[in-house]
Amino acid sequence: MARPGAWGMRLLAGLLLVGLAGCGSGPSPDVATPRTDEFVFGLLMVGPANDRGWSQAHFEAGQYVEKNVSGTRMVYVDKVNPADRPGTTPAQLANDLLDRGARLIIFNSDDMKDGALEFARAHPDIPIIHISGDNAWPKGRDFARLPNLANVMGRMEHGAAMAGFVAAMTTRTGRIGYLGPLINDETRRLAAATYLGARHAWTQVLKRDPGQLRFKVSWIGFWFNVPGVTADPTQVADGFFSSGFDVIVSGIDTTEALAEAKKFSTPDKPAWAIPYDYVNACAEAEGNCLGVPYYNWGPAYVQHVEAVRAGTWQPSFQWLDPDWSDINNPDRSAVGFQKGAALPPAAAQELDAFIGALAGGLNLWTGPLRYQDGTVFLKPGETATDTQVWYLPQLLQGMTGQSVSNQ
Amino acid sequence: MDITLQDIRKTFGRVIACDRVTLAVPGGTIQGLLGENGAGKSTLMKILSGFLRPDSGEIRLDGTPVIFRHPADAVRTGVGMLHQDPLDYPTLTVLENFMSGRPERFFPSRSAATRRLRELAGTFGFAIDPRACLDTLTVGERQQLEILRLLSLDVRVLILDEPTTGISAAQKAQLFETLRRLAVEGRTVLFVSHKLEEVESLCHRVAVLRSGALAGAQVPPYTTAELVALMFGRPIVFPQREPAAPGRPVLELRALSAMDDRLRLAPLDFDLRAGEVVGLAGLTGSGQRLLLRTCAGLVRPVAGTVRVNGRDLTGQVYPSCRRHGVVFVPTARLEEGLIGDMNLSEHLLLVQPPRRLFIDRPRALEAAEERIRDFAIRGSPDSLMRELSGGNQQRALLSLLAPPLALILIEEPTRGLDLESAAAVWTRLRAHCRAGAAILFLSSDLDEIRAHSDRIVVFFCGRSSPPLDPSRTDREELGRLIGGKGWDREAAG
Amino acid sequence: MIRARVLCQQAGRQAGGVILALLAASGLLLLAGASPVEVFRQIGLGAFGSVTRLADVLVVWGPLALVTAGLLVTFAAGLWNIGIEGQIVMGAIGVTGSLRLLQDAPLPAWAVLSVALAAGMMAGAAWAMLSGLLKTVGGVNEIFGGLGLNFIASALILWLIFGPWKRPGIGSMSGTEPFPDSLWLPALAGTRLSFWSVALGLAAVGAVALLLSRTVLGLRLKAVGRNFRAAYLLGVPAWRHLLLAFGLCGALAGVAGFVQVTAVYHRLIPSISSGYGFLGLMVALIIRCRAAWVAPVAVFFAAITIGGIQLPIALQLDSSLSGVLQGLLVLGVLFSDGLRHRAAARP
Repeated sequence: MARPGAWGMRLLAGLLLVGLAGCGSGPSPDVATPRTDEFVFGLLMVGPANDRGWSQAHFEAGQYVEKNVSGTRMVYVDKVNPADRPGTTPAQLANDLLDRGARLIIFNSDDMKDGALEFARAHPDIPIIHISGDNAWPKGRDFARLPNLANVMGRMEHGAAMAGFVAAMTTRTGRIGYLGPLINDETRRLAAATYLGARHAWTQVLKRDPGQLRFKVSWIGFWFNVPGVTADPTQVADGFFSSGFDVIVSGIDTTEALAEAKKFSTPDKPAWAIPYDYVNACAEAEGNCLGVPYYNWGPAYVQHVEAVRAGTWQPSFQWLDPDWSDINNPDRSAVGFQKGAALPPAAAQELDAFIGALAGGLNLWTGPLRYQDGTVFLKPGETATDTQVWYLPQLLQGMTGQSVSNQ
Repeated sequence: MDITLQDIRKTFGRVIACDRVTLAVPGGTIQGLLGENGAGKSTLMKILSGFLRPDSGEIRLDGTPVIFRHPADAVRTGVGMLHQDPLDYPTLTVLENFMSGRPERFFPSRSAATRRLRELAGTFGFAIDPRACLDTLTVGERQQLEILRLLSLDVRVLILDEPTTGISAAQKAQLFETLRRLAVEGRTVLFVSHKLEEVESLCHRVAVLRSGALAGAQVPPYTTAELVALMFGRPIVFPQREPAAPGRPVLELRALSAMDDRLRLAPLDFDLRAGEVVGLAGLTGSGQRLLLRTCAGLVRPVAGTVRVNGRDLTGQVYPSCRRHGVVFVPTARLEEGLIGDMNLSEHLLLVQPPRRLFIDRPRALEAAEERIRDFAIRGSPDSLMRELSGGNQQRALLSLLAPPLALILIEEPTRGLDLESAAAVWTRLRAHCRAGAAILFLSSDLDEIRAHSDRIVVFFCGRSSPPLDPSRTDREELGRLIGGKGWDREAAG
Repeated sequence: MIRARVLCQQAGRQAGGVILALLAASGLLLLAGASPVEVFRQIGLGAFGSVTRLADVLVVWGPLALVTAGLLVTFAAGLWNIGIEGQIVMGAIGVTGSLRLLQDAPLPAWAVLSVALAAGMMAGAAWAMLSGLLKTVGGVNEIFGGLGLNFIASALILWLIFGPWKRPGIGSMSGTEPFPDSLWLPALAGTRLSFWSVALGLAAVGAVALLLSRTVLGLRLKAVGRNFRAAYLLGVPAWRHLLLAFGLCGALAGVAGFVQVTAVYHRLIPSISSGYGFLGLMVALIIRCRAAWVAPVAVFFAAITIGGIQLPIALQLDSSLSGVLQGLLVLGVLFSDGLRHRAAARP
C-alpha cells in the first residue's frame, strides 16, 4: 500500500509543480496588458449572448464598435446573473474584465444596478456605462453624482407604442396580451407605452370603442425564464393564446411568445406575436411576427468609446430618441421598428403614417390619462414630463394586470 | 459430478485461510467438512462456488479444470452454494428472490415461477408463501428459499455452509432427507458444519480442516473422540449447569400479548427469578423471538404487563429498558449486534454512558485489552469487528455486557460457534447469573436448550407451554411439543 | 508523523482519480474543439492569477467549507442530507428576516449581525431537523424528504422576494433591497472577501474534525451511521443522534446562508445558496468523511468554480464546463476508489 501511495504523492506533487509553474511565470500575456494601441472595452450581459433579444442586441453593438472603430476589442461575460453564475456578483465579473484590459465597462442590465454602483465607487478611474439605469440623471430620484458613471437608454416608449399600434391593428379578438418581465419603473412605462399605442390605433385609426379593447399584462418575474424561479414565459404565452388573445406583445428579453404564436396559429385562428429588443428577433417565426421594436446600441457605444479614447468622456444620462428621418438607420437611430412578414400591408401603411405622426410631434402621453386605480395621471391637455414617464408608478386605466407585485 | 480440489491456497493479507488443500469428492456423495471457526471451511467452499479466487491451485469438475470468475459461472456449471448468512434481497418478495439469478427471458413468467416454487417447496415440505416479503421471513425460512432456488437452477453440486443453525429440528430432518435424496439422484453435496452429530448422521465421508489445512478424513463408522481431536488438537472443557438458587423474581409477565405481522402471542403469565436460565424452544417463528423482543421493549405489547425488578416497563422502549438493566443480544451479530467497521475499544466507549466530551484513548485501549484477556478474544483492541470470526464476535458482544444486569435476553447464544466458543459463551452467561442476573434465551438447538435451561418453555404458533423441568422432559416430548402435538392436553391440564 | 503519512497515502490514492478525471475532461474538451492545456491554464490563472482572484476563490470557499463540514456530520451518521440546499436557503431567510427587523433598531452593527447569525443557524437547524423528523417519525427517507423540503424552501424564498420583502414599487426575482453598508461583513481592502467568512469556515471545519475524531459524541454518530440497529441495541439513543446530526448540519448550512447574505450578496436573492449545497455534497463524496481534507478539496472546487469564469471571457467556452470538470473529478475519484476496492476484494 505504501508504494502506490508514494507514487501517487510524486504524481500529485508533479502536477502541482506544473500548475504553479504555469501560474507563477511572471506576468502572463493574457492576463491583460493589451497592445498599447488597442482599446479594450468590457461588456457584461445579463442573458446569453445569443438570446435573440436584449443581450444579443448589446453583443452585436459591441461587434459594431469593433468593426467601426479601428483598434478596439471587446471582452465580455454573458449570463451575468446569480442563477446562471452562482456565487458571482456583477462587480466581481467586471473585475475580471478589468483584468483582461478593459478600460470601459458596460453593465447591460437594470439587474446589475447595485453591482454597477459598487464597481463604479471602487474604480473611480474607469468609465462605467450602466444601461437603463438612472444614477447619472441629475433630475432622477437616485442621482449618485459619480464622476465615472453614465447611463444610456433608448426611448423605447416610441417602439413600444408602434408595437401596440400594430397589435391593435391586427387583432381579431380585440385581446392583446403583454408578456411582462419583472415589475419596475422601466417595465411599467413600456407596458403603458404599448397600451397607449394600441389604444391610439383602436380609437383613432379603427374608430372603435375603447371599452372593447382588452389589454392584459402578465409578469413572469425576471427578464427571462429562470426555471423554478420565474413564471415560465412559454406557459404564460400559452395561457394568453388559449384564452382568446391572438396577439402577444413581448416585453421580456427572449422570444418564447413568438415560438408559441407559431405553435398556436391555425388558418382560421391565426396567432401573432411581437418580440422585443433585437432587430432580427422575428427570424424565430417570420410567419407569425408582426414586427419588432428594437434597440440599436451601436452608435451610442461608438460615441462613448471614442470619447474615452479621446479623453473627453464625461458622465452623462442619455435617453435616446429614434432618428425620426429613418428610424431603422443602423448608424444613427437608437430605437427602431422592424416590420414583420406577418404584418398586413394595410396595417403597415397605417404604421408608417403613425410613425410619421410621432415624428411630427404626436405625444401619446397627453391627458386625460388616469392611473389604473382611477386617480388622475394627466389632466386634459397636460403632457407628461420625462420624470413622470420614467418613474411611472402604476399601469394606466384600461390595462389589466398588476401595477406592483401585490403579494 | 466428481469434484477435485487440488492444492488450493488462499491468503488474506498475512492470514493463510487455505493452505494447499487437496480434496476429491466423487459424485453422489454427501461430503462433510468439519472444523472449528476460522478453520478455512467457508473460504474453501467460497472458492469452489466462485465467490473467491484461489491464489493458487486448481478446481476440476469431472476431471476438467474450471476457473470461475463469478458465482454465476459456478451456477451455470452446476455448482451452487447456500451461505451461512443468506445472500438474498430482503426488500423483494419470496417469488422475486426465487426468480433472481435465473437465465430468464426479459419478461420472466411469474406464474411459471410460482408453480415451480410451490412444487419444489411441496417436495421438501417447506411452507413458503411466494407473495410474502422476504424481510418477514426468519433466517431459517430464507435458507429454505435459497435451497429451493439453487435446486431450481439445477445445480449438480450443492454446497451448504452451516445450514442447520437457523432451522428447527423438524426442518432439519426434512433437509437431511432431501440431501440424501439428492445424493441418490447422483448430485454431490458438500455439507459444512461444526456439529459432529449432524455430520456423523448425514455424511458419507468427512474431512476435517484445522488452521487452513486438511487435518484428516474419516469414513463411517466415525469415532467422535478422534474427530474432536482432529478439529481442535486439544481437549475442551464444557461448563456444568449449576442448579439455580432461585432468588427474587426479576421478570414478571402478566397476560402479556404481542403481535407482529404474522403471529399473535397468546397471553402469557410467567416469572423469571434472579440467577435462573430459561430456554425458549420452538420452530422458527413460533413466538419465542417475539416474546424476547417484547420483553426488550423492541416490540410494543398489545396487552398485559412487563415488570422488571418490580418496575413496570410495559411499553417502554429499549433504551429505557436498558437503563433498568435489561439487555438484548440479537442473533444476527454483524447486522444487529455489532458495528462491523468499528473495533472493540470503540464498542466499549459506545456502551458506556457518555460522561466525558472527549475520548480518553489510552483508557479505552486499556479496557479493551482487559476484555480481550478476560474473554479470550482472538484479536486486538483495534481489530474491526467484521474481521473477527463468529466465535470471537460473540465473545466480544458478551464482553460488552457490563454488570450489574437484571435480565439478559439472548437469541441463539451459540449459533455458528464451535464447541470451544460455545463453552466460553455459556461460562460467561453463567457468571452473570451468579451475579444475580436472569437469562431468557431462545435457541433452535434442542441440545443447547436442554443443557443450559433451568426451565424450558416451548412455543407453537404463538402459544406457550407451562415451564418444563428439563430433567423430567425428554427429547422426544420436547420434539412433540415443538411439532404441535399434545397441546390440547397441555391446555386442558 | 503517522498522521502525515496517512494523509500522504490518501492523497496518493486520490491522485489516480484526479488524473483520470483530467484525462476524461481533456477528451471532452478536444471533442468541443478547445485546447485542454489552455483551458486548465485559464482556470488556474482565473483562480490564482492575482490576489483579487485568490480572494474570490476564498469567497466561495467560506460557505462551501461550512456546508461541507456540516455534511460530514450527517455523512458520519449515515445520512444523505440532500436537503442541504433548502437549509442554506432557510438560514439565509432567517438572517434576512432578523436583519430586516433590527436594521433600524438602535443597536450596534455587531449585535444585529450576531442576532442574525443565531437566527440563521436556528432556521437552518430547524429545517434540517424537519428532514430528521420526517425520517424518524414518518419513515420518509431523508433523500426524498430533503428534496421536498428544498422545493418548499425555494418556493418560500421566491414568495418572500416577490411578495412581502419586495423592493418598493418593484416586483422582480432579482432580490430584496440591499442592506445598508453597516450590516455588511467588512471586506478585506480591495477584495470582496470577508475575513469572517474564512474564519467561520475554518472554525467549522476544525470543530467538525474534532467532533468526529476525538469526542464520544462523534464516535456515537459514526456508530449510528455505520449500523443504526446495532448502535441502538448497544444502548446509543440512535434516533436522537440522527436528529442531532441533522441539527448540526443545518446550523452550519445556516451559517453559510449568513455569509452569503451578509458578506457576498448583501441582500436576499432566489439563488442565495449558489448551489453550494450540492457542491458540498460532491466535496464530501470525494473526501469520504476525512475531515482533514475538507479545506484543501474545497479550495480546489472553489478554484474551479472561480477559474471557470475565465472560460467564456478568454476562450468563448461555456463556463458550465467547470461544473462538468467538477462532476468528472467526483466520478474519477469514486471510480478509482471502486476499482481499488474491487481489486482488494478479488486479488
